[in-house]
Amino acid sequence: MSEARQLPEDELFEVEINGRTCEAREGETVFEVAARQGVEIPVLCHDTRLEPAGACRVCLVEVEGQRRLQPGCAWKVSAGMKITTESDRIEKHRRVLYGLYLADHKLDDAGLPVETANANQLRMLAEKTPPLQLEAVEAPRRGRPEDENPYIKFDPELCILCARCTRYCDEIEAVNAITLAWRGSETTISTAGERGLLDTSCELCGGCIDTCPTGALIEKKAPQILPAHAEKVRSTCNFCGVGCQLDLHVVDGKVAKVTSPPVGETVNDGNLCVKGRFAYDFVHHEDRLTEPLIRREDGELHPASWEEAIEVAAKGLLGVKERHGSDAMGFVSSSRCTVEENYLMQKLSRTAFRTNNIHQCAAT
Amino acid sequence: MLETTAQRERVLKLLEEEGGVTEESVRRVAREANVPEAEVWGAGLFYTLINNPGDRVRVCDGLSCQMAGADALTERLESQGKTCERVSCLGQCDLAPATLDEQMKLVTYEGRPTGVTPDDPELPMNLGGEMDRSYAGLARAREMGAEAVIDELEASGLQGRGGAGFPAHFKWRSLRSQAETERYIVCNADEGEPGTFKDREVLLRQPHLMLEGLAIAAWTVEAKDIYIYIRGEFGNERRNLDRAMEEAREQLSCFNWHVVDGHGAYICGEETALLESLEGKRGMPRLKPPFPTEQGFRGKPTLMQNVETLACIPAILSRGGAWFKGLGRNEPGTKLYCISGHVKTPGVYELPLGVTLDELVEAAGGYEGTPMAFSPGGASSGFLPMDQRELPLDFKSLAGAGSMLGSAGVVVLNDTVDMAVASAWQLVFFERESCGQCAPCRIGTRYLRRQLDRYVQIGDPASLAQADDVGWEMEEGSICGLGMVAAKPLEAARKYFPEAFETRNSNGSSKRG
Amino acid sequence: MTNSIDEIRDTEMMFVIGSNTSEAHPIIAMEMKKAVGRGSRLIVADPRAIWMAGIAEKHMQLHPGTDVWLLNAMAHVIVTEDLVDHDFIAAHTERFEEYRESVLSYTPEEAEKITGVPAQDIRDVARLYATTEKAGIYYTLGITEHTHGTDNVYALANLVLMTGHLGKPSAGMNPLRGQNNVQGANDAGATPVFYPGYQNVTDPAVRKKFEQAWGVELDPNDGLNLNVMMKELAKGKIKGMYVMGEDIVISEPNVSQIEKGLNQIEFLVCQEIFHNLTTQYADVVFPSSCFAEKDGVFTNSDRRVQRVRKAVDPPGNAREDWRILADMARACGYPMPHYENPGEIYDEMAALTPKVAGISHERLDERPRGLQWPCTDSDHEGTPTLHQDGPIVGKAGFQPVAYRPSDEMPDDEYPLVLSTGRTLYHYNAATQTRRSAGPVAKQARNFIEIHRKDAGKLGISDGETVRVSSRRGSVEAMAMVSPRPRRGCVWMPMHFAESRANELTNDAGDPITQTAEYKVCAVRVEALTPEPVG
Repeated sequence: MSEARQLPEDELFEVEINGRTCEAREGETVFEVAARQGVEIPVLCHDTRLEPAGACRVCLVEVEGQRRLQPGCAWKVSAGMKITTESDRIEKHRRVLYGLYLADHKLDDAGLPVETANANQLRMLAEKTPPLQLEAVEAPRRGRPEDENPYIKFDPELCILCARCTRYCDEIEAVNAITLAWRGSETTISTAGERGLLDTSCELCGGCIDTCPTGALIEKKAPQILPAHAEKVRSTCNFCGVGCQLDLHVVDGKVAKVTSPPVGETVNDGNLCVKGRFAYDFVHHEDRLTEPLIRREDGELHPASWEEAIEVAAKGLLGVKERHGSDAMGFVSSSRCTVEENYLMQKLSRTAFRTNNIHQCAAT
Repeated sequence: MLETTAQRERVLKLLEEEGGVTEESVRRVAREANVPEAEVWGAGLFYTLINNPGDRVRVCDGLSCQMAGADALTERLESQGKTCERVSCLGQCDLAPATLDEQMKLVTYEGRPTGVTPDDPELPMNLGGEMDRSYAGLARAREMGAEAVIDELEASGLQGRGGAGFPAHFKWRSLRSQAETERYIVCNADEGEPGTFKDREVLLRQPHLMLEGLAIAAWTVEAKDIYIYIRGEFGNERRNLDRAMEEAREQLSCFNWHVVDGHGAYICGEETALLESLEGKRGMPRLKPPFPTEQGFRGKPTLMQNVETLACIPAILSRGGAWFKGLGRNEPGTKLYCISGHVKTPGVYELPLGVTLDELVEAAGGYEGTPMAFSPGGASSGFLPMDQRELPLDFKSLAGAGSMLGSAGVVVLNDTVDMAVASAWQLVFFERESCGQCAPCRIGTRYLRRQLDRYVQIGDPASLAQADDVGWEMEEGSICGLGMVAAKPLEAARKYFPEAFETRNSNGSSKRG
Repeated sequence: MTNSIDEIRDTEMMFVIGSNTSEAHPIIAMEMKKAVGRGSRLIVADPRAIWMAGIAEKHMQLHPGTDVWLLNAMAHVIVTEDLVDHDFIAAHTERFEEYRESVLSYTPEEAEKITGVPAQDIRDVARLYATTEKAGIYYTLGITEHTHGTDNVYALANLVLMTGHLGKPSAGMNPLRGQNNVQGANDAGATPVFYPGYQNVTDPAVRKKFEQAWGVELDPNDGLNLNVMMKELAKGKIKGMYVMGEDIVISEPNVSQIEKGLNQIEFLVCQEIFHNLTTQYADVVFPSSCFAEKDGVFTNSDRRVQRVRKAVDPPGNAREDWRILADMARACGYPMPHYENPGEIYDEMAALTPKVAGISHERLDERPRGLQWPCTDSDHEGTPTLHQDGPIVGKAGFQPVAYRPSDEMPDDEYPLVLSTGRTLYHYNAATQTRRSAGPVAKQARNFIEIHRKDAGKLGISDGETVRVSSRRGSVEAMAMVSPRPRRGCVWMPMHFAESRANELTNDAGDPITQTAEYKVCAVRVEALTPEPVG
């Protein structure tokens, strides 16, 4: 485990990618070096958060001296290595491989992999390199249609068995709720006893959805296909103190879905927990307060205009101050609110009421 | 750490003791082995002997058994009220059609004579001779010293008998050069390639040679623990091995021996899949590099050798590498050739490496009927037409002919066989045994098998229009050897017997190759 | 945190104490899991066998409230075996000798008697911590929510200082903040003793600066801490309150006293997105906005200032909090400027706050990873690791601490020790998470974790409803018979309004921070139904 970290980091050497010389260091993969050079190698099973699996075979490249094509995601570079990422052989490999994937995939009327709310990367690859047309193989892959968990849906017909989801569940979330099961063309993503996720060690983080390249795993409650006018707004999660960045997907003025920004871009490195990813139902919940309320003579709260509510509130608080002095005032601010709002709350208590009796709720 | 590792390695055994994969058994095993339930579930379902145990007859689906009438036998058994399951090659091709009964005991029906090379002390393995319990090679190794053992191995030119034909001494030397001193020896006794049953004979007739080979290996590369991964269907062989280990307790005493049963997955004959299986996981091949000699069992340097390779070693040390080398023709040593199919006396014959088919068949009592094709090295080697009967059956010559010696499981097909159907039998095997990890193999084997079935049913060659491209990709793109060779039988059959793939009448079988 | 979240994956040793990281900070836990996968050694100190303990090399299952003993005993090992960082101590600290003397009586053997952690484990962990270069301490409310919370923090800080684990990447002292913007609210001056940026309200020069900026005379004295404020409320001394975004009735300890206070309060204004237990007492309720409906910034645990952006409009006539506050201030007679947007508010604060002077919405918009304060001017790229250049301004003083038992210890009447906390699926008062299907499906109702032997003794079986009582109140919850708690200890989440853990908790506060002792109080657990016969 620790050996990999003890490599001399300063030892740079040269490798050649598509005839271009570039620098690399011990321990780097072809994929990493190529990415730095702006050389794009298509891949489906790779997620930089996970150990390379080399399972999807999409990223195979030619390495001089190697008889076989080798997976760029896993192949470690060494000094003087010559790598080719585009050639007739690789082109043919991709064409036939994509053809095989398509023969094992749910296709739309145009014969392309079905698009879902999670972009189907297989579709994008097939659009770029026309696949060999092959008859469907109708693999007997089982799903879990009975799974009643509220968030995560698995469609075996869109699954390419890259195992990103199971590896994520093992390597990152480390709860091991899902697994590859069966063998050969029966291989599928399963749970112990094919139980619903709620009855497993799953913590509903949804990382499996996030890492799935084809939309075989999608969110049950979000739109299955996001409309073109969906807008993404980057924001910060409002739950714990980690500060995960979120992309709020807005459709028709509502938050329809939450995803993590891409891996490597923000502090949460593509990860979210159950609350950050799924617990946004409250935003548009019918219980939300929508009108200012004033307690009238009948002792009940009644809707009022903003003007009146502000006036009554100000008068009420000022009255207390006049009667009992500033020390009888208390201001409770919120660690749930923004910095600016906390600033205004303390400024309000200190200026308008001349008291330092202001504390935010999480007084720890 | 080690404790938890060892615990998780018990997963498959525990599941087998539980009698299979159920929600409850998985829960119990997960708790006992301290492994997540889902992993136990996923691992268990990978292996046919674990996911589908139970009372029924298993009828072999291998090429030789198919030719010997496995279909008809199944029908007969079923008409007698038995429940049958068709299973991948049972490694009893000489006894075709072979079955395992409800208690997993081998039952054969043909009563055909089978053969083995007669006693000849000049043969390194001498299967027909008395069981060699001398452990003279081990004694010799201790005298020579480790480096000299490897030098002798190099001089012998011994190539790995598991199928790849890689010179053995490279691995041994690589092991010794590893900085890590926790090292393992693994014996690959998971023979399962259709047409192959030679390791079976070593286990039954000369198990001590294999054990001695392992002891020599462990002593040479300074490993303490020796694992023997033996095919799950090998009941007699396992018992015989246990008996041999008991007999040789003294000679074997300075190492820790572990015999691990396979659980019904051909792919575990692939070395890295075998390692995964030993670790209690799904038998999915790993990416190489790193090679097992660097990071193998438990991530530690591991020397893995095939049963036959190991069985050659005592004689190499006792009588010298040069002697062994001289026994072969173009390549060194003798070789255990398995021969079955349309021959008079199928069996295992130890002959100089590089004999021709005719020489081999002569040892096996001659052809039965008019030979039309042969498969020289298991399903993976495809087929060759009889005009290639003069080819030396060795690693290099067969590779040159686009085939391979592989495990030297030679099957002869006479002119009663429909080559399209014969290819389909082989493809069924690969589809069933694909681990499912990579798409070229998982989807490719299924695609080819379905298209070939379609062709056999409707006789339209268009069904196979894309077969070449798919086969090409399977070889280029698969992770491991299984996927790389799985298209070979069809590819070779179409190349050498094109007439078997022409347009047919709708009743299917008007033309034969 | 003195370090950044992304430094965790490179750490060589993690000492996690009083933090149920995988539930309370799941994404930080992922980084820790990754570190463990890369060979980092994880030690967990917690009274419960929490999830992280399952992947830890060692779990120190201490008695609740005995942290000072444990930490001082570790210090004892480090000083007696001379594993201290002499150079660091000489260069950056003072009062080491005094401190050294103070820990000599805390032998691991004595510590074992009090904490329940084997002496050998204490020795092993102390040595490991002292001798590992990239060793980080991670803690949260399990350390602070005690009557000796400050002592706990000092005890940890002493360990950090004596071993020089400061000012280095992947080492340091890392409190994990419980809420999205605890750090930011403190930074913004929502505290009774500081103006924004931890500038003392009692410092005349500072006060003068703010008086000039804000144009009014300011209160020269420290204000009331929240816990004290709640006690004053209960006593009827606080008569007018403005509560924004907090359900004090569910979240503060010993709530029946607070309810008493709220019943007699003269005027209460609540600013909320949902009705809660507190709004029942309000005279005016302002409907406000949630994070998705407004602009601004949150500051997370590693001092990272990041943007919150408006994605949708508040529902109905609800408004953004900052607009409401500005209107309220003006209605109360203070001429709050007419801000166009929260960026202007931030700029006003930044101009008065040196620590964040270099931060603005514009700069944040260009940085997906935000900016970590200190960030002192507009060329500054923020500070991922604190104390890197010359670890500390001046010298850090060791703070000798002596063990004090928790305020309320178990007795015959209330024989069990209750700790409270948060679960993965819910969040604080759960007004948000209990409106989501998944958390509700996973945890629909309140529960109390109890060791199976204690449950057996009390005739309680798993899943049965029990009554939990303390000197202050009583609630019903479902018994979760589990191997996780220590014997004699029970644990309950704080999320459930109909079964409030804070009816039970003790509002005794830490003498310095006044933080209440949520983690230790004495309770009794009883089966509700008569024990079945046979």
